[in-house]
Amino acid sequence: MIQEYTAQLIRDYDALSGRMLQILDEYGVVKEPELMPALSDAEWLELYKTMVLTRAADDKALQLQRQGRMLTYAPNTGQEAAQVGPAAAMAKNDWLVPAFRELGAWLYRGVPLKTVYLYWYGNEYGSHFPEGVRVLPIAVPIGTQLHHAVGVAMASKIKGENDVTVAYIGDGGTSTGDFNEALNFAGVFNAPVVFIVQNNQYAISVPRTKQTIAKTIAQKAVAAGIPGMVVDGNDLFAMYAAVKEAIERARSGGGPTLIEAYTYRLGAHTTSDDPTKYREDSEVEAWKPRDPLGRMKAYLISKGLWSEEQDLALYEEYGAYALEVFRQVEAEGEPRVEDLFKYTYKEMPAHVREQYEEYLQYLEGKVD
Amino acid sequence: MLEFRFPDIGEGITEGVILKWFVEVGQEVKEGDSLFLVETDKVNAEIPSPANGTILARFGEVGDTINVGDVVVQIGEAGAKAPRPQAEPVAEDNAAVVGALETSDHVLATSSEHEAAAQEPPRRKALATPVARRMAKELGVDINTLVGSGPGGRVMKEDILKAANGQKRPAPQASQAETAAPASPIQPPAPAPAGAQTSGGEERVALTTLGKTVARNMALSKREIPHAAVMDEIDVTELVNFRREAKVWAEREGVKLTYMPFIIKAAALVLQELPIFNASFSAETEEIVLKKYYNLGIAVDTPEGLLVPVIKNADQKGLLRLAREVQSLAEKARERTLSLQEIQGGTFTLTNYGAVGALSGVPVIKHPEAAILGIGAITKRPVVGEDDQIAIRHILPVTLSFDHRFIDGGSAGRFMRKLRAYLEQPVLLLLS
Amino acid sequence: MALMNLITAINHTLDLALAQDERVVVFGEDVGVEGGVFRATVGLQKKYGEERVFDTPLAESAIVGTAVGMALNGLRPVAEIQFSGFVYPAFNQIISHVARMRNRTRGQRYLPMVIRMPHGGGIKALEHHSESLDTFFGHIPGLKVVVPSTPYDAKGLLLSAIRDDDPVIFLEPSKLYRAFRQEVPEEDYTIPIGKAKVVKPGSDLTVVSWGAYLHEALKAAELLQAEGIDAEVIDLRTISPLDRETILESVKKTGRFAVVHEAAKSFGPGAELVALVNEGAFLYLEAPPLRLAGFDITIPLPRGEHHYFMDAQRMAAGLRQVANF
Repeated sequence: MIQEYTAQLIRDYDALSGRMLQILDEYGVVKEPELMPALSDAEWLELYKTMVLTRAADDKALQLQRQGRMLTYAPNTGQEAAQVGPAAAMAKNDWLVPAFRELGAWLYRGVPLKTVYLYWYGNEYGSHFPEGVRVLPIAVPIGTQLHHAVGVAMASKIKGENDVTVAYIGDGGTSTGDFNEALNFAGVFNAPVVFIVQNNQYAISVPRTKQTIAKTIAQKAVAAGIPGMVVDGNDLFAMYAAVKEAIERARSGGGPTLIEAYTYRLGAHTTSDDPTKYREDSEVEAWKPRDPLGRMKAYLISKGLWSEEQDLALYEEYGAYALEVFRQVEAEGEPRVEDLFKYTYKEMPAHVREQYEEYLQYLEGKVD
Repeated sequence: MLEFRFPDIGEGITEGVILKWFVEVGQEVKEGDSLFLVETDKVNAEIPSPANGTILARFGEVGDTINVGDVVVQIGEAGAKAPRPQAEPVAEDNAAVVGALETSDHVLATSSEHEAAAQEPPRRKALATPVARRMAKELGVDINTLVGSGPGGRVMKEDILKAANGQKRPAPQASQAETAAPASPIQPPAPAPAGAQTSGGEERVALTTLGKTVARNMALSKREIPHAAVMDEIDVTELVNFRREAKVWAEREGVKLTYMPFIIKAAALVLQELPIFNASFSAETEEIVLKKYYNLGIAVDTPEGLLVPVIKNADQKGLLRLAREVQSLAEKARERTLSLQEIQGGTFTLTNYGAVGALSGVPVIKHPEAAILGIGAITKRPVVGEDDQIAIRHILPVTLSFDHRFIDGGSAGRFMRKLRAYLEQPVLLLLS
Repeated sequence: MALMNLITAINHTLDLALAQDERVVVFGEDVGVEGGVFRATVGLQKKYGEERVFDTPLAESAIVGTAVGMALNGLRPVAEIQFSGFVYPAFNQIISHVARMRNRTRGQRYLPMVIRMPHGGGIKALEHHSESLDTFFGHIPGLKVVVPSTPYDAKGLLLSAIRDDDPVIFLEPSKLYRAFRQEVPEEDYTIPIGKAKVVKPGSDLTVVSWGAYLHEALKAAELLQAEGIDAEVIDLRTISPLDRETILESVKKTGRFAVVHEAAKSFGPGAELVALVNEGAFLYLEAPPLRLAGFDITIPLPRGEHHYFMDAQRMAAGLRQVANF
C-alpha cells in the first residue's frame, strides 16, 4: 500500500513510483520550471561558487597527495550538488551528520577548509569545529552515524526544539544492519531526520547492483514505513527542492524521509584506490557530461549571470586559496604530545598520567 | 634544492613512460604547474610540481621508462649546482585504499623453522624467591653457587646466611697489616683490601657489602633523627669492687664477667621505668611506638664493619646469663656466624668505646630506635667527696644520645639519674 | 622457492588451499573483482570462479554469520574483514556463535572457518585502521588466534588455520604487508598453531613479541647486544593457545622477562604473559617481568602515531631496565 503524502514532491516522486526527480538536465536546461525552488539568481550563483570551491579544494588535495604532502584523501568529484544542495536547504540550527564524503556540505555549514584539511592530514583537530557549527565528526565505521543522527533528532524533539537533522550515508552503507535499524527507529519515534544516501554507484569496487538487488535504494524506506524518493544527485535544483521539502516535513512533525541522491563517483574511492581495476573508462566518460558543475555553469551562462572566463578565474583563485590553507596546515599539523594523552578521559587518570610523564622523560633523553 | 621523485600516484603503477616534458632546465615553475606527462598501463597522468623554483635538472627523456621513486626533476634556486641523485629501490603495487604501506625490497633471512636451534649448555641457576635474592645481594653472596635446602632445591634464607657468614674474607694486600687479633669487642677496622687502587697521592678502597649497609644506615639515622645528647660521669667504685669478687665466681662457671652485663642490666631497669627510651617514632602517623619488650643491642666492631647483635628480653635475664650472651654474641659477630634472629628486633642499643680507651663520644642512634647509650673507659680520678676531701675513685663517662623529636632534656636527665643510681650502688641491681 | 612478501605469500596460500580442497571458499568486501584492497586475493576469482571467490555487500555481521552457516553445511570458509577496526559489528556472531558452536552441540557441529583481517598500526591511516585486537579475541574461549610476522610463517600458519577444525582468527600485520620479502617454498608445509619460535637465542633476557613489533624487538636486541646484553627474542606467532612451554623454558634460562606489544597496556595481552611467567617461573626470576606496551589512550591519528608506536630505541630503553635490575 502506497502511503499518502501531502507534500508535492514526495507524492509525485515516491520511491515506488519508479520516477527520479530532475529539474535541471545535464545541458543546463530547466525541465520542470514549476518545481524550481524559490531562490534568487544571486543565491544560486553563491551555491554554484560553493560547488566550485568544493571542486577546487578537492582537486588541490589530490594534487598534494600526489606530492606526498597530504595523506590518503577521499575525493568528492562529481558529487558536489548532492552535498551543497541539501546543506543550503538547512536552517542555521539544523544538525549535519556526515559519513566521510561530504566536503561541499561541511564547507557550506561552516566547517573551515583548514579543519577539513587537518583531518585528512592526520590531526585530530580536524574534527574539532568552531563553536555553534552543528556538524558531527566523520564516522569511519560505515553506517554507525545514522543511529547518532536519529538520537540527535530525538533529543531535539524531547527538548521541544524544532531543529532537523540531516544524515549522510553511501550506497555501500545501506547494506549494513545499522542502516536498517536506524530507519526503523526513526520511523517508530517519528524522528525529525532526513537521511540522504549518496548513491555514487560504487562501494570501493563493489558496484551498486552487487550491493543490493533492490531496484532502488529509496524503496528501502518503504520497509521502515517512511517516505523515500530518488533524486538526480547531480541536479542542484532538485537536491535543494527535495531536501527542503523533507526538512520542512520533519520540522512540522511529519517525521523522517529517505532521499536517494543518484550520482556518480567520478574519482577513486580514495587516493590509494585504482578504479581502473574494476570499472571501465567508458563508463566514467559517459558520466562526465552529467557533472553537476557543468550543468550549473551552462545554466548560469545561459541566464547571463556568468562566463567561462569568470569560471576559470574563480577556480584558479580557489585553488590558490586552498593551497595557502594547506600550507598553514603543514606548518601547524603536528600534535602536541600532551594532546595525545589529554583527551581520552575528561580527567587524565593516574595510570595514564604516569605513562605520559614517563614518555616525556624518555623524550628528553632521561632514560632510567 | 629539492629532489622530486616520481610519486606513487596510487593507481597501482610502479613505472611509466615519459610522453612529454612541459618544462625546460632553467625554467621558473610554480607549485602545481605540470612538469611532465607520464603514460602508465592504466592512465596518462600529468605530474604537478611540488614547489616554486627553477628547474635545475631533468632526468629522463621522452620515451624513457621511469620507476616510482626515481628522481625526475631537481628544483631549486636559479644557478644552484645540481648533484647526481641517489637511486631508490623500486616501489611495488602499493594498493591499500587507506594509509601508506612501507614498500621495500629488503629480503629477510630464510626461515629456520625446521632446523634445530643450537643448544647452549644451561648456566646453573638457583631457585629462590625475590626476597631471598635480595638478601643474597645485600650480603654479597652469589646465589647461583648455593645448594638450596628448601622444597625442590629452593635456596632458603638460612642457606644464604650460612654462606654469608662462612665466606672467606678477601686476602689482604701486602702493604696493609691487620691490627690486633679479636680480644676486645671493638677493633679499628682494617681497610678492605679487595678493590684497593692506588694512583698518585690517592688510594681508592671499595666498601664491603656490610660496609655499604653500615654507611647507608648511619646516613639514614642522622638524616631522619634530630640527635641531642646528655653526658655524665658515674662513680662506679662500688661496681668495680663488686665485680672483682663476682668475677671469680663467674670464671668457675666458664663465663668472662665484664662491666657490660651490669650496665645492660641497669639500662634494662631504667628503660622499664622510662619507657619512652624504649620506643620509636613514626613520622607518617606522628605516633610514638612504645615497645613492651626489651631487646638490647650491643655494638660489635668487626673488620668488615659494625654489627649489632641483640640480647632478647634482657630485662628477664640474670647477670650471669647476660654475661654469657654478651660473650657468645661478640664471638659470633666476629666470626660472622650470627643468625638473622640475632640481629633483628632491637629496641635500645649500647656501645662501648671505652674498650678502645676512648673517654667520651657521641654515639649515633640505631634507626629506628629512640636512644643509644655510649660507654667510655673507666679511669681512676681524683674526686671531691662530700666532706670536701679528695679521694681516688673509678669514674665511668657515659653519653646518652636521644631522639629530640619526642624526648627532651628533662627526660634524658632523668634517665641519667636513674642509671647512675644503679651503677653507683650495684646491690640495687640485685634487689630489683 | 620464491621470494614473496607477506601479501604475496597469503595470496599464494589461498590459491593453494582453493586448489587442494573444493570446500574452501573465500569472500569479503572487494575480495573478488578487485582482489582485495591490499591485493591479498588478486587473481583468485578469475581462477576459481564467482561461486568460490566473491564480493559481499558491506555488512560485517553478515559476512561472519554467513560463514558460520556455510561451515555448518560442509564448507570451509575463509572470510575477510577489511580492517580489524571494522570487525566490531561481527563481534556478536563471533562471540555468540563462532566460538561456541562446538561446545553448544557437544562436538556434533563445529566451525572449521578462518576469519582474516589486517591488524595493527603504523600505516598512517584514518581512525579504526590501526587496531590491535589480540586481547579481545584471545579472551574468548573457543577461538584460536594467530599473528604471523614473516611471509614464510604466514603461509605455514594460514594452511594450518584453514585445515584446523576449530575457528581461527588470522591477524595479518598490515605494516608488514610489503615491508620485506623472504624465500617461501612453493610446496605444501604447515607450521603448527600454538607454537612460538625462538628467533634469536640468548642468555640474559627473554623478550616476547609478535607481529610488526617482532622486527623492532629484534633491532632492539641488536642494540642491546652491542652493550653486552644477550637477549633471547621469541616470536609468539599464536596468541591463543599460548605456547607456555617455550616461554617458560626461556625464562627459566634467563631469569628475566619482557613482553613488547602494540595494544594498550591495561588489560592487554602482556598481562596474560606476565601472569604466566609469575605462575610458572617465579623462583627463577631475578627481575620483575616487564610490559612494554601502548599507552592507555585512543590510538593517535597519523601525525601523532609515531609517539604511540615504539621504535627499537624506545624498546631498548625499556629492556635495559629489566636487564640491569
